[in-house]
Parts: sequence; C-alpha cells; structure tokens
Amino acid sequence: MYEWNFWPVLSESGILWAGFRNTLILTATALSGGLVVGLFLALGRLSHRRWLSLPAGIVIEVFRTTPPLVQLFWFYFGLPIVLAVEMTPFLAAALTFTIQSGAFFAEIFRAGIVSIEKGQWEAARVIGMNHAQMMRRIILPQAVKRMFPSMMERSIELMKTTTLVATVSYADLLFQANELAQKTFRPLEVYTVVALIYFISISAVSFLAARLEKRFARSGEITQ
Amino acid sequence: MNYHWNFASVFENWPALLIGVEGTLRLFVVCLLIGMSLGLVVGLGRRSKSKPVKWLSTAFVEFFRNTPVLVQILWFYYALPILTGLEISPFMAAILGISLNSAAYSAEIFRGGIQSIEPGQWEAATAIGMSRLQTLRRIVLPQAIRRVIPALTNRGVEIFKMSTLASVVAYVELLQQGKLIASLNFNPLEVYTVIGAIFLLILYPIVRLTYALERRLARSD
Repeated sequence: MYEWNFWPVLSESGILWAGFRNTLILTATALSGGLVVGLFLALGRLSHRRWLSLPAGIVIEVFRTTPPLVQLFWFYFGLPIVLAVEMTPFLAAALTFTIQSGAFFAEIFRAGIVSIEKGQWEAARVIGMNHAQMMRRIILPQAVKRMFPSMMERSIELMKTTTLVATVSYADLLFQANELAQKTFRPLEVYTVVALIYFISISAVSFLAARLEKRFARSGEITQ
Repeated sequence: MNYHWNFASVFENWPALLIGVEGTLRLFVVCLLIGMSLGLVVGLGRRSKSKPVKWLSTAFVEFFRNTPVLVQILWFYYALPILTGLEISPFMAAILGISLNSAAYSAEIFRGGIQSIEPGQWEAATAIGMSRLQTLRRIVLPQAIRRVIPALTNRGVEIFKMSTLASVVAYVELLQQGKLIASLNFNPLEVYTVIGAIFLLILYPIVRLTYALERRLARSD
C-alpha cells in the first residue's frame, strides 16, 4: 500500500502558488481580450457587408473547429517564422486564447443579439436612433443579460484550457506542478493537490456565477 | 514577410501523418463510446431515488467538469501507476482522462434531455402499467435522446479536439506526429498549418451537420 505524504508538496507550495498566479493572469488577459474580440467578431458576422461577415465567419469557424493545442503550437512555433519576431510563451498563449475564446464568445454574443425581439429594433428606429445607437443603448444591454450564463460557462472553459500553455513552458499552475513532481518525486501528491486547487477555484467561480444568475433572474427576464 | 512556404516537406511525410490520423481516430472512437455510454449511466444515476447513487454520480460530474482534462490525463499517467502499481500506457491514460471527462459532460446532456420530457409521458406510461425501467426505455429515452442529439454531436467534436492532448503523454496521434515532422524538418509553420487544416477538414462537415440537425429539431418541436 502506498504511503501518502503531502509534506514535500506543502513545504514547496510557493512554487504552486506562483503557477496559480500566472494561470490567473493568463486567464484574465485572454478573457478581457476574448470578450472584445468576440463582440467585434459577432458584429462583423451579423453585418450586411459581405467583406465583413465573411472573414468574421471564417475566423469564428476555424478557431471553433480546430484543437486549441494545435492553435497554440501554430502561434508559438509557426507564427514567429512568418513575422520574424520573437514569441514568448505568454504572448503566444495570450494571443491564442484571446482569439480562440473570442470565437466562442462571438457565437454567444450573436445568439444573444439575434434573440432580441424585432420590435425592439423597430421601436428604437422609430424614435430616430441609428444602428450603432440601437445596438449600444437598446439591444446589447438586454442581450448581455441573457448571455450571462453561457459567458460564465465559457470563461470557466477558458480557465481550464489555459493548462495547455504548460506544453510551451509558460509557468502556469500545471507547468509548476510538473516541475515540483520532478523535484520531489511525489507526482501522486502533486497532481492530486493541483487537481484540487483547480477544482476548488473553478467550483467557487461556478457557485458565484449561479448566485449572480439567480439575482439576474429575479431582477427581470432571462432565458430559462 | 517574404517567407517561402514549403508544404512539400510536410506532404513528403504523409505516411507519418497517416499513422497520426489512425491514432487520433482510434482514441476518438474509444473515448466517444465510453464517454457516451458512461455518461448515460451517470446521467440516470443523478436522477436515481437511491441517495448514495445520486450523491456519487453528482460528485463524479462535478469533479470531472471542474478540473482541466489535461490535469486529469497527467494524473492518470503519472499518479495512478503509483497508487495502483499498474502500468499505465499513454493510450490508457488518454482514454481514462478524456472518456471520464466527456462522460461527466454527456451525463449533464442526458439528464437535461430526460428532464425536458413532460411528466405526462411518465404518468401515461405508468397508467398503462409500465414499470419505471420500461417507461424509461420505451417512452422517455427515445424522445430524450432525439432532443439531445445536437448537443451530443457537439460533445463528439469536443472529444475529437481533445484527443490532441494525448500528445502531451507522447501517445502517437496527429499532433504528436506533427511535432515529430516539425523537429526533423524544421518546418513548424507548414506542419501545424496542415495539422490544423486536417482537423478542420474532418470536423467542419460534422459541425455543419449539427447546425442542420438543430434547425430541423427546432422546426419539428
């Protein structure tokens, strides 16, 4: 029977916390970038101008249907060759996950915008708003509320996807775990602790999201 | 910006890519079958009247949905052998990680589908004397599964994409073969472009099919 010994892991937990911090930094960067990219992609895809809707559609579909790990490798190993620039693991990861989550956020934005009743558009037009005003003042505020649950789900997915950067040596939580496992020869304890750290933090976020959703539901209409 | 793309150096290695495709497909099929069937069992478990079964299935779903699949694969690869004394191959570790993760997700899909069936269906079946199990098998599941087919297809696409994570434990699949070709020929740009294109070629038709299914279902309901 194996004797569990968490002590070597706990005494070196600073390594893991540094990794956790980097995971959070990467998630926050990609999340804020992804939301902006997603909104623009969604507006692009919904546009009547074909030169806007076509490329937006292609970016969305390509990033949604290819594996994120392949995308990451492409940005980290491939892109520097075309652009002749240095690529750091963080930059490659931030770029990949910004566009990748942007593609998924775009579909959420689009579904939200499309779900707003025609009457809202018509009413806004009647009182003299132009397209951008309608979008900003009438449609988006309502749509964002409806999109909230899917947005939260996607953000949690994003946090889990960031573990992939360990493969290009960005010092996120998983990468630090690999280091610690090699250092302490305690992979069982290390990976168990890391799984628990992810589990607890992600569960906490889901819990908060569920609370917020309930509040939104009480404060007015929300889908489901 | 004057880079000369050289795809020939990738396609010269087509036998290696073919081996990779085979490895990806093998992993995908196994994980799809285990993930979906275990998902159905766990999904039913979450609706069970027995408290321990319900609790266990819920814990399973919550745990596997709230941890990254790459951490799961690495746990099965590096940690499980220590715990059990068994040797775990990269293939085995990838199967365990990806299947259990997808089982947790598809359990929620099945559960949602079953919940969406009107209580009247259950009542009617009970009224004509069917047992709970018979009702489930003959009345509820056929309708529920029809409704969740688009969601399950989506899951299937996710599983296919997830199979690339097996390269982290050096299981021979498409991405792993790509890494190999790139390191031998110094052509990562072309290799990863081709690998991405292969995934797009295989998955995009399935994604379109899902859209079509969703539209058809929306019309018929």
